[in-house]
Amino acid sequence: MPKKYHIHPKITPLDLDYVFKFKIVRGENCINCGKCTKVCIYEAHKRRKDDPRKMADPNTVVCRNCFRCIQECPRGALEKSLDKDFTNIGGAFWKPDMLISLWKQAEDGKVPVSGAGYRGPFTGTGFDSMWTDMSEIVRPTRDGIHGREYISTSVDLGRKLNHLTFDADGQLASTVPDTVDLPIPILFDTPADNLSSNVKEALVKAAAEISTCIIMPAADITPRVEKYRDNIIPCLAPTEIDTHKAVLKKARLVSIEYSDAVLNDFPGLKKKIKKLSDALTIIRIPAMNDVEGIVAKLAHSGAEIIHIVADYRGQELNGSAGSDRRLLKDIIRAVHLRLVEDRIRDEITLIASGGIAMAEHVPKAMLCGADLTAIDIPLMIALGARIYEEPEKLLIFPEGLGKIPLPIVTQRIVNLMGAWHSQILEMMGAMGIREARRLRGESGRAIFFEEIDKDTFGKLFKKREAVSV
Amino acid sequence: MKPSTVKIRKMPSRFKHQVPKYKVTRSDACINCGTCARACPYGVHERVEGHNKVKPPIDYKCIGFECQGKDFYCVAKCPRKALSLSLNPMYATLGDFRWTADMITGTWIMAETGYPPQRTDLEYNVGNSGGGFDKLRFKFPAHPPQVDKSEISTAIPLNRRNDGRANVVISTPVYGGGMSFGSVSLPTMVSKARNATIWNTFTCTGEGGYPEMLQPYDDHVITQIATGLFGVREETIQRVKIIEFKYAQGAKPGLGGHLLGEKNTESVAKMREAVKGYPLFSPFPFHSVYSIEDHKKHIDWVKEMNPNALVSVKVSTPNDVDMVAVGSYYAGAHIIHIDGGYGGTGAAPDIAKKNIAMPIEYAITKVHNFLKDEGARDAMTLIASGGIRTAHDLAKAICLGADGVVIGTAELVSLECVRCGNCESGRGCARGIASTDSELADLFDEDWATQRLVNMYHAWNVQLVEILQRFGMRSVKELVGRTDLLEHIDYSHETEFAHNG
Repeated sequence: MPKKYHIHPKITPLDLDYVFKFKIVRGENCINCGKCTKVCIYEAHKRRKDDPRKMADPNTVVCRNCFRCIQECPRGALEKSLDKDFTNIGGAFWKPDMLISLWKQAEDGKVPVSGAGYRGPFTGTGFDSMWTDMSEIVRPTRDGIHGREYISTSVDLGRKLNHLTFDADGQLASTVPDTVDLPIPILFDTPADNLSSNVKEALVKAAAEISTCIIMPAADITPRVEKYRDNIIPCLAPTEIDTHKAVLKKARLVSIEYSDAVLNDFPGLKKKIKKLSDALTIIRIPAMNDVEGIVAKLAHSGAEIIHIVADYRGQELNGSAGSDRRLLKDIIRAVHLRLVEDRIRDEITLIASGGIAMAEHVPKAMLCGADLTAIDIPLMIALGARIYEEPEKLLIFPEGLGKIPLPIVTQRIVNLMGAWHSQILEMMGAMGIREARRLRGESGRAIFFEEIDKDTFGKLFKKREAVSV
Repeated sequence: MKPSTVKIRKMPSRFKHQVPKYKVTRSDACINCGTCARACPYGVHERVEGHNKVKPPIDYKCIGFECQGKDFYCVAKCPRKALSLSLNPMYATLGDFRWTADMITGTWIMAETGYPPQRTDLEYNVGNSGGGFDKLRFKFPAHPPQVDKSEISTAIPLNRRNDGRANVVISTPVYGGGMSFGSVSLPTMVSKARNATIWNTFTCTGEGGYPEMLQPYDDHVITQIATGLFGVREETIQRVKIIEFKYAQGAKPGLGGHLLGEKNTESVAKMREAVKGYPLFSPFPFHSVYSIEDHKKHIDWVKEMNPNALVSVKVSTPNDVDMVAVGSYYAGAHIIHIDGGYGGTGAAPDIAKKNIAMPIEYAITKVHNFLKDEGARDAMTLIASGGIRTAHDLAKAICLGADGVVIGTAELVSLECVRCGNCESGRGCARGIASTDSELADLFDEDWATQRLVNMYHAWNVQLVEILQRFGMRSVKELVGRTDLLEHIDYSHETEFAHNG
């Protein structure tokens, strides 16, 4: 049996301030009795080091909202509220709790576990309007997700044949195209263009360490990262192919920006690349409202891998800034079903990205019909970046990030991916699916809010009026 | 047993302060005249005779802005305008979408007084999740048949198979969920069992064995056989009236159980026949069950061991939960207990709680209808859990097709859980409920906790009886599957056109 794929997390605190949720203020009427130090099991309250007669300011970073100090202070001198920085960060899509969770996953590489039931809204938009199925008695994993039974998260990229042909002698007559195998259905996408050099390098190193690839602008590929070329996917416009010959030559995969020229003459482009290199071609398409038509056309003209890119909140790119813009879940479903209808789905590979923010989004995107995903912003949140959605997208890097040693930055990203990988295994294990390729388009193993709600409550509560036609 | 015979005693919080919704501020302009203390009927202001100063306001007793129209409104009455009323920012740190701060506060008031709160400023019957129960409302008829409250029965039978086994009837259609020794403290377990005895209902051991302290309450304890088989022994199976097979838990369906090493203290390890300090995993699923036929063997096995006991099967809510339920019926179970995805837990991956398996609201309807179509509904008792937070949720679940419900979180909230969600971390629960840490597990005594639970069950029963009365019903059994008595905010006022021809 081949060696199991495993990501090795290491606890890696980052010495940079991050947001925390609660703020406790000690009032003037505190009598320094020390009751709060006794009752707090998280050590938020301590006496002052320089003057033990007095209480220090509460260390609210460690506060877990248990209310013990609030309720037991003899004077009622403590007040708790939501921290302003916490409530201001993120927005409608990148929720503050999500950011704190990603930050923690990057620290310890563990699956976030908590007590008590789910605390969020019943349903939401996009991926939040899906639940994944599980297997009660039949089909489950036999001895746990880390047991002897292997749950594979591998996917392969490239063009596939829809059938094999044999000659009269029973010899294989088809040429089977090359594919690139990745052990995890996640690629890195370059998250921003103002990254410090240690972050750029850490992204590449982390991608290499977990045996995936990072898509980066061809111009950014410096000699420093050259040795990781197997894990780098140069990204360029079709007009820049000649400029980046050297880079292309050694690449396993290349990402080409979509343009009309690509649409109208994919075979020509492929030929041009083929002359320089054996790299498989990814076409990077912004998620426009007619994306499924474009993808279908490309698929029929021989495209190998298509990468659909939604905006940072997983929305369609054109159309008015309103609710009529499709979300990644529906974009993927539309593209996937269009290709199924055209009977060509199995022949090409679909990558989805934009708004893949949490581990759960990866299997959900695959259930909707993607072969794999690409992520960007979570990699930055792992390093302490803060994102704001209003009044416009703003990604702020913590001060001093540029000086953090490379191994630490790298390990944080590896940890995050380790946590995600474990969570993907949890979901697959519950579904009884042991093979990530089988997730693709397996919408029967998902529960869609719109469908089940209509099916249950719609049937019960909608008044039906018969109209004779 | 009649619910009206249960003794209610006021049982205040174990803490000095509560988490107040409002903030009453007294400025320096106060001249300590005591007008406010004389005016406020709720005891927010207190001026002790012989003291110079009025005491600081007791915020949590304040009824808030609804007081503005009253003639005892302290802010208006104060001759110096020294008082002001505002929302307390602290209140925003309590609760969440499913369990709102109002709902937690309401449950605390029920546990303290035994009755639903009389305040109009607390929305404690529905949460803020924007779906499921929170979108369902009752359609009370304008002129229901007159029924006297004393005639209304809330009792339900649990054995509907007529198979000669015990005819177990519970007096209120609610019993306590499985919480293992290890996930919660012994006082918590014992008070749950004592409450179950007083209410003539049940509580469940969870999967961590059967502590001896529960022996006096044997007739009201369900012993759980879970996939880890921790602490399962023949003699415990023979002691009880109901045995529950736990296939899955709604909060972590398909993942198996996990008690973190830190919570596996000496006493816990002894009970589970395990090694102290090591994390304990229950596999998923039973290693001896690959099919409904295997499942039947399991049931036959315990039926053989205890010829009088009922068998309950607890499952979570996958797409095919209806098939599983019917399978359990054919395997000979008496109770099918479905646990929805939004249920509570002592520890579960966040990703599982949010995403895996469906909410209970859909599953109840699915299972109820499927069992009906199979002609098996009348022989099975359908119990729902996993997101039943209030008496209204309970009544809605019954309308959708359940016979009764199981609650867990609501019980813990009545013991002053704040749902901070740290049950699993380090020494466990800071509130002393879900912890076996020697210091923390000693924060309250069983008498206090039992009475709090009894009070909360009473308040729920009062609300349930009220709902039944408004429908003109004499028994909670009449409510089962009456979806026509509900409406859904999103659908009930929309009309769908079905095309004929």
